Amino acid sequence: MIGGDIIESIITIKDVSKIYRVGTEKVVALECINLEIPKGEICCILGTSGSGKSTLLNLMAGLERPTTGSIVIKGKNIEKMSENGLARFRQKNVGFIFQSYNLLPSLTALENVSLPLVFRGVSKKIRNQRAKKLLEQVGLGTRMNHKPNQMSGGQQQRVGIARAFVANPDIIFADEPTGNLDSKTTVEIMNLITNLARENNQTLIIVTHDVNIAKYADRIVYIFDGNIKKIEKTVKVEGEVI
Amino acid sequence: MNSIDVISMGLRNMWRRKTRTILTVLGVIIGTSSIVIMLSLGIAMNENFKKEVESMGSLNIIEVSRNYGMREGGSTKEVKLDDKAIAKIGAIEGVEAVTPLEFTYWKFGAGKYVGHVSVIGIDTKVMDKFNFEIEEGRLLDESDTNAVVFGSYIPEMFYNPKSSYYYDSSSSVKLISDKLIMTMNMDYGERRSRQSSSNTEKLPEYKVKGVGILKQSAGETDYNAYMNIKYLKKIQEESNRARSRNSRGWDYGESSSDSYNNAMVKVKDINNVKEVQEKIKDMGFNAFSLTDILESMQKTSASIQAILGGIGAVSLLVAALGITNTMIMSIYERTREIGVMKVLGAELGSIRRLFLFEAGLIGFMGGILGIGFSLAVSLILNKAGLSLGNFFGYMGEGSKVSVIPLWLMLASVAFATLIGLVSGYYPARRAMKLSALEAIKTE
Ligand SMILES: Nc1ncnc2c1ncn2[C@@H]1O[C@H](COP(=O)(O)OP(=O)(O)O)[C@@H](O)[C@H]1O
Ligand SMILES: [Mg+2]
Repeated sequence: MIGGDIIESIITIKDVSKIYRVGTEKVVALECINLEIPKGEICCILGTSGSGKSTLLNLMAGLERPTTGSIVIKGKNIEKMSENGLARFRQKNVGFIFQSYNLLPSLTALENVSLPLVFRGVSKKIRNQRAKKLLEQVGLGTRMNHKPNQMSGGQQQRVGIARAFVANPDIIFADEPTGNLDSKTTVEIMNLITNLARENNQTLIIVTHDVNIAKYADRIVYIFDGNIKKIEKTVKVEGEVI
Repeated sequence: MNSIDVISMGLRNMWRRKTRTILTVLGVIIGTSSIVIMLSLGIAMNENFKKEVESMGSLNIIEVSRNYGMREGGSTKEVKLDDKAIAKIGAIEGVEAVTPLEFTYWKFGAGKYVGHVSVIGIDTKVMDKFNFEIEEGRLLDESDTNAVVFGSYIPEMFYNPKSSYYYDSSSSVKLISDKLIMTMNMDYGERRSRQSSSNTEKLPEYKVKGVGILKQSAGETDYNAYMNIKYLKKIQEESNRARSRNSRGWDYGESSSDSYNNAMVKVKDINNVKEVQEKIKDMGFNAFSLTDILESMQKTSASIQAILGGIGAVSLLVAALGITNTMIMSIYERTREIGVMKVLGAELGSIRRLFLFEAGLIGFMGGILGIGFSLAVSLILNKAGLSLGNFFGYMGEGSKVSVIPLWLMLASVAFATLIGLVSGYYPARRAMKLSALEAIKTE
């Protein structure tokens, strides 16, 4: 990533627009987006509220379809996939970290983490092994059987992170992952996410309005009113501890 | 998503909402048992009909008679019921045996006892095929000519004309004996002979032997005696000729030795009775079987059952709405969860299976428990001997009010499960179509 090597891009967004129709009114969430994200990059999409960041992320994750343009991920046009095709695509390639954690309240931490593997049809034994390993990595080895409402926000987000990484996906999307956390926890969580992603050479796309978060990324995509204003590589000393 | 996970997740969700699950299942229990109990009343009624009809005789016997009157087509041509026709009936597929019948009436003498007996002539070759059961002695066979088998009540019809006590009878009469007399002279053996004058010819008396007494059947065979039809027709003609001479030209009955008025057909399989009966009718004879009665009774009970089942079905319909409602509520509560599951890669089929499983299980549990409840109610109804059936008639004594056969149990569990699945179909579709994005947005 650093240096001038030609690295194949894992995500290619071409002339994408997204227009919502609210009654008779048209809301242009994204006007014309062109973006390539190389494999293994940590990319931050930065912009003010309402600028269209989440919309862009959702399009990339196949949760919504673009009004125009194409989105190619790992060589496949995801805007042309069927509903079930997208589900399978997410199972295999995508991990999610949400601002509001979105854990299932009736499941324990261990069960929440293994959920993506359940949808993949992985056996319970292997599922639990894998989920335990991830929970230990996020520092919750002693909280496996706790329900979400028995944990703090930071702990819940760690469970969310373990869940996103459990199936070892190529791409992880995080929409305001620290939006509900205090500044100290934010630092912990950001270090955790980026370290995990770097360890496995995974592509991480973080959406945020917080400039402090942006410095964890390799590249910052500034977005404003549905358009990319500029793209900037972060200047970083090799091996710098943040 | 594999089935074990669908099941465990489904069970978990149901357990989470115990009260609601139990109430929904209760609805299905009530629905299932009202259908089952209602149908069990109808089934019991049907069984009672069948028992009652069977007590009248065998269901696989067809009675055939010559067609005297006009047929519907207007043709007055009468078809003879002779040996050829009998053989033709015997050749119909499904017929096990056929015998011509001759109904006659005689005076019998047995020692000091006499009795008036209706004697039916039959083909002795096939007597054993017609459900006759012997109590004492034996049935008739091919070699018998002047042998007689008596119905179970016949001994009680004998009396001693010399005794002042009319009822000094049955206990001492010996009908299984070589020394029986049989005659058309009804005055035979009586104290005062009413025979008009000495110049009339004496009616012939025949020496016959009693060889068997039938088991009590609660049917018409109890009151009849049976003999070889050839022999019986012969002595009947002789007697009639003598009587005709006595009454100067008055003709007592027709006399053609191989033409009969009646016949009886045994069908191998009860299910073929109708078919054989139709074929016999097509030959130009009257044919009647107890199946006719049973059918009309069953038609009645079918309409009663339909009404009862309909009443039960209404409550199951209400239960089905209950399941749908519960599942929809569950979707509202779990909107976010469903959304998260979709984002994490749950396929549409998995979501559908999850909801159908829950709805189906509610139906299944309701069905199983409903059957248990119905069995209990059925037991109570039968114990109490509540003669509900008297409303509808056709109830014999000692018959059951409610009968739940195994097939009904299995069918109702299957049906309740199906109802569950059908009720869960719409909610499951709704969950499937739910937008993942909308679901996770709701804060
Ligand atoms: N489902 C929707 N229907 C209508 N308008 C929407 C919808 N989703 C987003 N928008 C609009 O699109 C714009 C971008 O939204 P979003 O991508 O959520 O912004 P951000 O995440 O940057 O705050 C906003 O103006 C928002 O009102
Ligand atoms: Mg947003």
